[in-house]
Amino acid sequence: MSEQLQAEIEREIGANTILVYGKGTKTMPRCGFTLETIEFFTRFGYPFEVIDVLENMPKREALAEMTNWPTLPKVFIKGAFFGDTDILGPMAQNGELERVLKEAFGYEAAPKTTISLH
Amino acid sequence: MIDTPALVALIRASIPDAQVDVVDRTGTMDHFNLKIRSQAFAGRPLLEQHRLVYGALGDALKDGRVHAVEITTLAE
Repeated sequence: MSEQLQAEIEREIGANTILVYGKGTKTMPRCGFTLETIEFFTRFGYPFEVIDVLENMPKREALAEMTNWPTLPKVFIKGAFFGDTDILGPMAQNGELERVLKEAFGYEAAPKTTISLH
Repeated sequence: MIDTPALVALIRASIPDAQVDVVDRTGTMDHFNLKIRSQAFAGRPLLEQHRLVYGALGDALKDGRVHAVEITTLAE
């Protein structure tokens, strides 16, 4: 994995409290799981960023190597890797995710209801 | 594409006591919901439990036999 890619990833996960590497963008997700992750975090009401790596194989391989996790999307919170909604879902149910997010942002967000477009 | 018996065998090759429920989400035999019960998950953080499953799926994920998978793990 090139230093340059690793530095780029570390800069990105450091600059965004919640960061989702996925397929497609926040407004144009191109994979069901990326869309599901966007809706998941929208409900929580905290700001989050989505970085599209669909076409960027070297970066996808670097991320897989860094996290020992082969699939997308990949979620980072305050620079720490949290997998995807298969991990975040159970954490949300037992209240653990709410604690992690409140601590990461230093405030409690008002959860938003998602407007379903379809 | 991979059929359910081959997918279960692949998982059991790495997690021998796994009880595996397979749902083919799209009917195309490559988008699966997997519910896996195994003692191997006991006492492990959820992220590690799922890494065990991804390790078992290994090549099938890389070569596209499995395109997408949603995982639920249970310890007992």
